[in-house]
Amino acid sequence: MTRRKFAGLSAAAVVGTYAGIKLQRPPKLSDGPAGKSAVAIIRARSYSDDLVSRMLQGIRECGLDVRGKRVLLKPNLVEFDAATVINTDAAVIAAALEVFHRLGAREVKIGEGPGHRRDTLDLADDARYRASVPKFDRIFTDLNRDDVSPVRGFAGESQFYFPNTVLGADLIVSLAKMKTHHWAGATLSMKNFFGVVPGSVYGWPKNKLHYLGIAESIVALNRQFGSKAFAIVDGVIGMEGNGPIQGTPKPAGVLVMGRDLVAVDATCARVMGIDPEKMTYLRMAADLGHVHAGRIEQRGETIASVRTNFALIDEYKSLRLA
Amino acid sequence: MGGVYLESRLEFLRKSQNPDGGWGYFPAKGSWFEPTTYAMLALQGRRESEGDLDRAWRLLRSWQLADGSFRPSGQVADGTWVTAHAVTLASVRGVDDASVRRSVDWLLGDVGAEHDVLMRVASFFHWIPTKLDVSHEGWPWRQGNASWIEPTAHTLVALKKVSSHYRTAEVERRVREGEKLVLSRRCSDGGWNCGNPNVFNYDLPSYPETTGLALLGLEGRNEEELAGALAVARRFRAETKSSLAKAWLQIALRCHGQPLETPAEIPWASSDIMLGAVQALGHPEGNYRLFGAPGVQL
Repeated sequence: MTRRKFAGLSAAAVVGTYAGIKLQRPPKLSDGPAGKSAVAIIRARSYSDDLVSRMLQGIRECGLDVRGKRVLLKPNLVEFDAATVINTDAAVIAAALEVFHRLGAREVKIGEGPGHRRDTLDLADDARYRASVPKFDRIFTDLNRDDVSPVRGFAGESQFYFPNTVLGADLIVSLAKMKTHHWAGATLSMKNFFGVVPGSVYGWPKNKLHYLGIAESIVALNRQFGSKAFAIVDGVIGMEGNGPIQGTPKPAGVLVMGRDLVAVDATCARVMGIDPEKMTYLRMAADLGHVHAGRIEQRGETIASVRTNFALIDEYKSLRLA
Repeated sequence: MGGVYLESRLEFLRKSQNPDGGWGYFPAKGSWFEPTTYAMLALQGRRESEGDLDRAWRLLRSWQLADGSFRPSGQVADGTWVTAHAVTLASVRGVDDASVRRSVDWLLGDVGAEHDVLMRVASFFHWIPTKLDVSHEGWPWRQGNASWIEPTAHTLVALKKVSSHYRTAEVERRVREGEKLVLSRRCSDGGWNCGNPNVFNYDLPSYPETTGLALLGLEGRNEEELAGALAVARRFRAETKSSLAKAWLQIALRCHGQPLETPAEIPWASSDIMLGAVQALGHPEGNYRLFGAPGVQL
């Protein structure tokens, strides 16, 4: 056992140091499901751009039909620091709310369960959600404190509890932020599902997921909800360096969208200058969607035209895309 | 009595009690142990609420499992950290029976998983990429997970209440260990976050609400030892916009004997039941003293 591997195993059991690195090697990268997945990269250089029309363009490119569906928008609301850009921008959420109403959704709600902070509405206030998103308080559910129901077989657990708002949605839109992450390499549309695990049952942070393994949990959550998910990743201004909280703003000027969240995250990684084939959770999720560039139909902009290398902490420099 | 601030919150709590006797996090939602605990503590001692509190207590006790732990709600099957709240409530209500002792036994048998031998060896050789002292025994949110500040603080509050009359030596040992754990997890800025002050040599910031909770767990320790942390708490209280954090800080600072002004007479205007209860508890005429264990010197 190498020192790094032992450290990884030890980390699995300690506070904030999680089982993302397992003794076993990640599985060989599979070809993924049959066919190809469409992922749209749409330029948006500023949050004052017309985000509604850009989202509509991306959703059309991906062929998503939301008519009559109960839609849950799941932003990434983690922490607030005026000096950086931790959360999905309020303008992106407001635009998504309008877009899904325009596309004929039966209802559109917003839900999030931050991993560390208990005062979710205060965080939403700091992040300007309450000021920028119409009727925010009426359509928002704190997923940490929602009523819950058990699901059988999640991540090998006999029972696992999820918020009723999440279980009742027909479509969950992962409104993620394009960020580096000091345990997972990057946090994108798939890891954003950590916020659907209720703190009232699993605590703050949701330590149960750390013991299941970060990568394993990301994959399990997407196995559970991926079939009714769509991703819109806010890369207008992302975060590089010591993400997901203490990094620095990194303008990437894009929204990345798609129904295949594995392909969306693989595309985002390439935009960020990270090799998705080296990312543990994406290798593990390769049966759920496409990681190989050849199996992803890039719509809108090309990766080459928007790629901008995000700074990586030393522990993840080996992930740099050639 | 407590004026508009306190009375409007207590009235909101009375009106938002569920038919089963418990409180949800929000009105008309299912009952949960946590908001029920704070609502009960806030209403404790109010004669007009005695019947309501008895109903709430009966509901909570129906959630106890055979091993002594408590479920966090009727929707969840397994026992968790809320067992500490059950012991605190029992003590406040003057209940000391076999079922309470089973809960104390369960808490005494629950240790954060980072304290196991493998982790201590890894820590000794600096193989853990966090600057974390894993030598102390704290409490997790759920059995089998690591210790964190909030469940440890709540368990310290609970165990200090029973330390004089049940398994005293073991309770005192765990309280001392738990306090050491809390002190060891202090962030470099002087407060506490969830319980992880550093990752990969990057210091992580503290949060106002967990700073308040940590100080609550440390009640009874030498005030001089905590002077710096109390100063951070006072600063957080002045600066934070979070109503919940401010309320927890008020409770903690009052429990530590810190002088605080009475909140402005702003009537209740929210649907957050836990927030209303915690704010009521932190009022100068509220029941914040119920978190303390007067006379306990371990």
